[in-house]
Amino acid sequence: MKLKQLLKMILINISQNKVRTFLTTLGVIVGTATIFMVVAIGKGGEAQVNEQYSRLNVGTIMVMPAQRGRVADPLTAKDAQLFLESQNIAQAFPLLRGNGDINYENYSASAGFAAIQPGFQESNNLVVGQGRALDEEDENKKNRCAVIGAELANTLTDGSPSEIVGRSISINNRKFEVVGIYNRVGDSGSGGSYDDTAFVPYSAGERFLLGARANPTIIAQARDIDAVQSAIEDITASLNENHRAGGAEQFRILDAGSRLVAAQESARTMSMLLLAVAVIVLIVSGIGIMNVMFVTVKERTREIGTLKAIGAKKQEILKQFLIEAVFISLAGGVIGVIAGFLTIPVLKYFELPALSSVSGVLLGLIFSVVTGVFFGFYPAMKAADLSPLEALRYE
Amino acid sequence: MTNSSNCVIAASNIVKVYQNGSEELKVLDDVSIRVLHSDFMAVLGPSGSGKSTLMNILGCLDIPTSGKYYLDGLDVLKASENELADIRNKKIGFIFQKFNLLPRLTALQNVVLPLLYRGIDEEEAMELAREKLTLLGLADRMGHKPNELSGGQQQRVAIARAIVGSPELLLADEPTGNLDSKSSEDAMVIFEELNRQGNTIVIITHDVEVAERVKKLVYIRDGKLYENN
Ligand SMILES: Nc1ncnc2c1ncn2[C@@H]1O[C@H](COP(=O)(O)OP(=O)(O)O)[C@@H](O)[C@H]1O
Ligand SMILES: [Mg+2]
Repeated sequence: MKLKQLLKMILINISQNKVRTFLTTLGVIVGTATIFMVVAIGKGGEAQVNEQYSRLNVGTIMVMPAQRGRVADPLTAKDAQLFLESQNIAQAFPLLRGNGDINYENYSASAGFAAIQPGFQESNNLVVGQGRALDEEDENKKNRCAVIGAELANTLTDGSPSEIVGRSISINNRKFEVVGIYNRVGDSGSGGSYDDTAFVPYSAGERFLLGARANPTIIAQARDIDAVQSAIEDITASLNENHRAGGAEQFRILDAGSRLVAAQESARTMSMLLLAVAVIVLIVSGIGIMNVMFVTVKERTREIGTLKAIGAKKQEILKQFLIEAVFISLAGGVIGVIAGFLTIPVLKYFELPALSSVSGVLLGLIFSVVTGVFFGFYPAMKAADLSPLEALRYE
Repeated sequence: MTNSSNCVIAASNIVKVYQNGSEELKVLDDVSIRVLHSDFMAVLGPSGSGKSTLMNILGCLDIPTSGKYYLDGLDVLKASENELADIRNKKIGFIFQKFNLLPRLTALQNVVLPLLYRGIDEEEAMELAREKLTLLGLADRMGHKPNELSGGQQQRVAIARAIVGSPELLLADEPTGNLDSKSSEDAMVIFEELNRQGNTIVIITHDVEVAERVKKLVYIRDGKLYENN
């Protein structure tokens, strides 16, 4: 029998028992949707991790207080200077971050601000789109000026950002003159996006915005990747030497490379766990398919006898029931993938990053087909092996 | 021994023994039967006499315990499983007591099935099937499923399915067993007409009225075949 006619017959058979077929597919739907989601979450997590770390190259080392809040002997801009004495360190910038109310004329936004030294801009790919960047003079003179992120400029001006350059804004009620706007960077890194942040000279931020509460992070750059370990040792030594109360103990030293690896690792572990769940679901649903196919073969025993009597060969009966099982599981697979697509916005709502992908669709469908073939084979074999006579006699 | 190639069925010394636990049940006891081209034969016997067993062996659905069987010159007992399927598909048309139509397929789809297993193109097969159904007065019932048809109509669909591939032999096991007398009469008229057109037909029955309509009658009792009652 040609495939087209065989498929037609199988469709007729399947559609005759829609409820049973649907119930049989349920497990496959869940399994396939899970696999699709695993891939989506994996891809989403990967993208998020890469996004978060795209600004930091792997040679970046962050030194920050080990605990939130006050540190007995906090980091200072001077520490950054001291770090630079190490041959292994190419750059070191102190960075202060905070949140506050930023106002411009009638508009106000609750946003982040960051106090930076001029070099921070290049090392973080912050490019000025309008106006000018922060420079050494601003730093030295503690100029009360600011360069703001594109998104923040938009919010404050209600969509016409260029007007804000040269005007003043207030950050936590302190006036700063906007001297430039950075181009959009589009990340969603921890601590809020740079696009939504106001940047001020470090010295000015320390003095006017944070004062005695200043508790900076230092972002250092190792000379190259191989120098990261030695750089960390040098930083530790410097901290031990210059901070009496606990030395380096009170700080956390993180390098971007190992953080990236750790983040990728945990994303992968998550994916593997979900994948294991999906495979278990598919095995269970496969056993369901096998059961239903056994029942189907039993129910149709006399029909199988008739088909054999009119000339169906063993392989043809095998093919028919195998394809029927694959059809059921593939239908479940297709519905599962659709269900997966529909679930992605829900995940996004709960801030779980998920990205649909062709590989997710393919993997889901392949797994569903494999389930159908694997668990449909034995019942189909039973059907094919029936002796025509026994089958015809079956009541 | 006669030349077996000029007859449709040449079966000799067929024995079929069923093993019921430790007991042996000889259902067919040294049965020899020859059916020539264009024969119209009935095998008449009471229930349990071994009729169906004989038909199953002649129809290549079962294998005898011993004996020889040539169908259209082919040594059936040497054929492989796939070859047997081929023989059933091309050389034999079955008509069952309970019609054995596939319940989910329409009359037309049922009739076309043997041709599809033969690998014939669907269009061509459909055409042949329509032709046979029309011949049997079912032109307006082709799209109906079996449960939408009367018993007589179902049996005519089954006959159409049996003859659609122009087999050498039509084998009918109690074809009127599930029919009322009117439909039985119709079915017999059809068989007579088919035989007139040259079809070789063997009907297995316990119904004397059916037996009276055929050209050649043999009797079966306790697994033995007799030319005369
Ligand atoms: N598979 C089998 N196993 C054991 N005994 C069988 C089997 N098939 C048929 N028989 C027995 O063989 C005898 C003849 O059966 P059958 O050929 O069906 O008779 P008929 O069709 O003439 O009524 C019966 O006694 C039946 O019980
Ligand atoms: Mg019988």
